[in-house]
Amino acid sequence: MNTVSSLRAAREPARRSLAKIAAFGAFVVLFFQACYGVHARPQDLITGVHGMADIISRATPPDFSQFVPSLQPIMETIDLAIFGTVLGVVLAFPLALLAASNVSPARPLYYVARGIIGITRSVPDLVWALLFVTAVGLGPFPGALALGVHSIGMLGRLFSEVIEDMDMGPVEALTLTGANRLQVFTHAVVPGVLPTLLGISLYRFDENLRSSLVLGFVGAGGIGFMLLTAMNLFQYQTVSYLLIVTFLLVAIAERGSAFLRSRVQ
Amino acid sequence: MNAMQQTIADGIGFDGLAVPAFADTGARAPGNASAGLGMRLAVRNLVMRYPNGHTALDGVSLRVGAGEMVVILGSNGCGKSTLMKCVVGLNRPTAGSVEVAGRDLATLRGNALREARMPVALISQHANLVKRRSVLANVCTGALGRHRSLSTMLGGLPKSELEPARRFLDEVGLLPLANQRAGTLSGGQAQRVAVARALAQRPQVVLADEPVASLDPEAADDVMRLLRRLATDDGLAVVAVLHQPELATRYADRLIGMRSGRVEFDERAASVGSQQISNLYVAHAS
Repeated sequence: MNTVSSLRAAREPARRSLAKIAAFGAFVVLFFQACYGVHARPQDLITGVHGMADIISRATPPDFSQFVPSLQPIMETIDLAIFGTVLGVVLAFPLALLAASNVSPARPLYYVARGIIGITRSVPDLVWALLFVTAVGLGPFPGALALGVHSIGMLGRLFSEVIEDMDMGPVEALTLTGANRLQVFTHAVVPGVLPTLLGISLYRFDENLRSSLVLGFVGAGGIGFMLLTAMNLFQYQTVSYLLIVTFLLVAIAERGSAFLRSRVQ
Repeated sequence: MNAMQQTIADGIGFDGLAVPAFADTGARAPGNASAGLGMRLAVRNLVMRYPNGHTALDGVSLRVGAGEMVVILGSNGCGKSTLMKCVVGLNRPTAGSVEVAGRDLATLRGNALREARMPVALISQHANLVKRRSVLANVCTGALGRHRSLSTMLGGLPKSELEPARRFLDEVGLLPLANQRAGTLSGGQAQRVAVARALAQRPQVVLADEPVASLDPEAADDVMRLLRRLATDDGLAVVAVLHQPELATRYADRLIGMRSGRVEFDERAASVGSQQISNLYVAHAS
């Protein structure tokens, strides 16, 4: 019996090495399959350099005279992100409470909440925007709704995970003092998870700002819409100006939300 | 007379430490627990059997009077913590009764259970404080069960409890830290805040489930001294589960030894021999 065990032990490292080689081989096969799938042609990058250089030369210098006309779309973009984030947070929080297994009041509610979160999360915000444009027409409102609905899913999932990972000790301690469910929730659950939820919400705002730029391409207003118009009219200097604005907006939002997140932790 | 003594005086009178020991050795409990003068906790023939057939408690009975400090000793898995959970209503026993302030917690559910267990405070191995709130706020939360106003439902603290909470913090020697975040406290300090929170609950019975397990000897001694004072000065019935026989014999009036879900001995601390205590652990190992 001991001999059999020692033989097995001796074969174990060899078996692990074989498994690693097989895993690496599978990965290589998968990657080349993907290259084939996307019709990857590296040579086109070289031949396309002339076209790129042409666009860059036509895009310089950026047209800074567009500053005043762009103020309205810039504000619209920021407003899209604010509306979408607030809507997402307000609706995601109660859903997350129902979808967190450790605090959910009833199993059926848990599954319903998980279902809503799953659906709103799995459909991309761009698709939601197309649906809402069809429903309520062009403009920033369908974009804001799209960001809000998609945020419900993204935030709901993260919020529920935070609640599930929270320290249940204070909850149990307060329950035993005779506090009722609502008191336990406001005095133990909320203070325990609020800073993390705020951090996640700020990060979501940052994400929504980037998404709102893309949503403009499907008619949901903001800088994205202005960018699409400029590209359609071959106004590359306006395009380069708007790309600079986009870069600045995203950078400011990233830095700002990182700063605020560090303050609330 | 301090705040807790006042509470006790307003309630049932107590008769010091003169509570007869009662082991589950076939002897009859001396009369009805609630009828006994100063009796705070009476556990009778408690059985806890899990669905998988494991019997965690097998007919445990014990009584603890006002002003008495009882320490339960026993190896891991002997049923000490299960007993604590049954007493506070976290576990529903298969059979038997847990009587506190004239009510049997073992038969109650929902709101009735919530109300009935308010005279029982539990201090766990971990202080279980809300780390981002102040020390004072944590102490005040012990009184939430008596304050069901809209303000407390929305996260506000009961204003009338702030002053008593400060007094309780003073009792545990942490008043200077009242406004500090609970998350910044050391393990020993946090456990003393947990004691203050238990006092804010205005209990008649204080249960301490391995309250010093994660503390260094000095902090452990502080917490045990504090629990002893709750019994001696405030007249509370204190039941502590410990793994430190030396602390148990130093601070307890009575020692209860448990093994395999049964009470092995229930005697005055001074009369328990070291061999009796060792047997609790040796027997488990074999």
